[in-house]
Amino acid sequence: MDFTALSETIIKGNMDGAVKETQKALDAGSDPQQILDQGLIAAMDVVGEKFSQGTMFVPQMLRSAKTMQACVALLKPQFQAGTVSSKGKIIMGTVKGDLHDIGKNLVAMMLEGAGFTIVDLGVDVAPEAFVKAVADEAPQILGMSALLSTTMPSMKATIEALKQAGHRDKVKIMIGGAPVTSQFAKEIGADRYAPDAGSAVSEAKGVLAAG
Amino acid sequence: MRQFLSEADIEQIDETGRRILTTVGIRILDKQMLDRLRASGAQVEPADGRARLPDGWIDRQLASAPDRFTLFSRDGQNDLDLGSGQVYFGNGGRAFQILDLATGGFRPTMLRDVANTAALVEQLSHIRFYIIACQAYDLAPDAYHLNDFFHALLHTNKHVMGGVDNLEGARQMVELAEDVAGGNAPLRQRPFVSVMTNPISPLTVDGESIKILEFLTSRGIPVTFAPAPISGATAPATLAGTLAQLHAEALAGAALVQFMSPGTPVMYGSVPMTMDLRTMDLAVGSVETAMLNTCCVALAHRYRLPIYASAGLTDAKQPDIQAGFEKGVSNLLLGRAGADFVHLAAGMLDSGNSISYEQYVIDDEIIGMVERLLRGVTINAETLALECIERVGPGGNYVTEEHTVEHMFSEFFYPKLAVREQYDRWVGRGAPTPLIRAQSVVDEILDEHAHRLDPAAVKGLRSRFPRIVDV
Repeated sequence: MDFTALSETIIKGNMDGAVKETQKALDAGSDPQQILDQGLIAAMDVVGEKFSQGTMFVPQMLRSAKTMQACVALLKPQFQAGTVSSKGKIIMGTVKGDLHDIGKNLVAMMLEGAGFTIVDLGVDVAPEAFVKAVADEAPQILGMSALLSTTMPSMKATIEALKQAGHRDKVKIMIGGAPVTSQFAKEIGADRYAPDAGSAVSEAKGVLAAG
Repeated sequence: MRQFLSEADIEQIDETGRRILTTVGIRILDKQMLDRLRASGAQVEPADGRARLPDGWIDRQLASAPDRFTLFSRDGQNDLDLGSGQVYFGNGGRAFQILDLATGGFRPTMLRDVANTAALVEQLSHIRFYIIACQAYDLAPDAYHLNDFFHALLHTNKHVMGGVDNLEGARQMVELAEDVAGGNAPLRQRPFVSVMTNPISPLTVDGESIKILEFLTSRGIPVTFAPAPISGATAPATLAGTLAQLHAEALAGAALVQFMSPGTPVMYGSVPMTMDLRTMDLAVGSVETAMLNTCCVALAHRYRLPIYASAGLTDAKQPDIQAGFEKGVSNLLLGRAGADFVHLAAGMLDSGNSISYEQYVIDDEIIGMVERLLRGVTINAETLALECIERVGPGGNYVTEEHTVEHMFSEFFYPKLAVREQYDRWVGRGAPTPLIRAQSVVDEILDEHAHRLDPAAVKGLRSRFPRIVDV
């Protein structure tokens, strides 16, 4: 089956068209996993490529990601429980006392576009709330954002709280935000740091590849 | 100068902004405030936490906002007469790293950087007020604002403005300022400190800022509640749409301040920015950021509110060509627009994340040029110099004329950094660039600088505020 038309609609971010094409492929009896891999994810690879070449802007990329999500939602019921290949689950949040969320949202959207499942806890998230979410959701990665130097210590507090609760070893921790540095990440015992949304995706992929 | 906006354009933005306030409203994350707003005639929807503010409500509140007020300096040398038509440029705050010219890299900012930047601003004559320049990584959070304000006041007599993280920080800062002033009444009368707070674009006000503003306005501290929408991220991607939303937020902010405490000196706040939508990197040195700010001046002045505007930002990582042209364009535009209080205009690099001592000195010179330009061309019989021209006649020269000596000091701006000397002489001196010259100005200032609070006063303050630390 040829998924060129579907891929085109994803790359263009044409949500109605993409949903129609996905439905058409399903009606024609295509394998959902094939639609996902050869139609949707292949299209997002092209999007990623175009973005890194600078011919596609971030809002276009996010529109494509959203379009893909709509198609994935259509595919989901077709998969047996557990057979859909999500890349992994990531909890995201801006730490306690901090209300900056533009960067965090951007990172979350890019990760989602790359195939991760995102649980977004929002802003001003207390260490206990992160711990609870990790316990409830069992994510592979916990992503924390801080834009204020006064709230950066809350990242460390969260890591400590995870240790206390016995969950630290179950999850990889990735942090970011303008004042955060790789040096700081090392100091507080985070596993990964990324300076921007693009590298956040490669870091997240790296975590899972490392197992 | 040709303005960006016609009267009709300004009216349309204003109408749209007010429309936003009545139809969309402002989300306020403070239940008590929402209750009080409802009681005062705003339309409050408990379900979505929004207050819709009808035209009548806004106008009623803004009626008590002063159209002219002074932000004082402690020595009376640099009082800022806002609303008088005068334009004042100052530095920008809360950067978290500083360019270290020795390594070419950045290091985190410390309390000593607050002290040193205050000293620089004290000595650089075109920077008219001081904003607490950076985070102090070496300060514990519990006595944070006691210390950053103390060290600012210790090093400059100019007006000091800062942001505060929470209510406790606001308390610390006001208690300190009242002590320095000799009580609340003298501070109220001649406020030499003020505070900026921000709503969260789009159209949200968090609970802590309400508490901070309620406290500050009850003590008579001048404030601004300055929205910082980013076109394409937290505001529409069109300049007009960003202006309409910012205007709604800024009007609501000024009106809320008046609602809390009528008559409080408040500036219409404006910190619009753009993003480079190719990458979502902040683009605060963009020409559109400068245009947005320029338009905001017209919107603020439509309401006879002095404006807290921004200019002089750059995305450049070091004091380079990009820093120069981005800063030059926006400072000039905002100056020409008659912005009352222009912050962020000195010392900053790296989209507002970083500062550089040398950049303070360079920006002082850029602002000096703009100030000269704003003084304009004086036309009268004496400056037209007909008599002098008659005396010199064809083929003569003006170098030795009394008229030249009479006017040469006031008519021209004499830069300290710009390279003007003849090439061989310049090379003979080691070909110093403006940056190298700025470095030596920094060294001179910091070497010679003396405290601006006398030792007895400092001793008293230290005993009454034992949590004050040294740099």
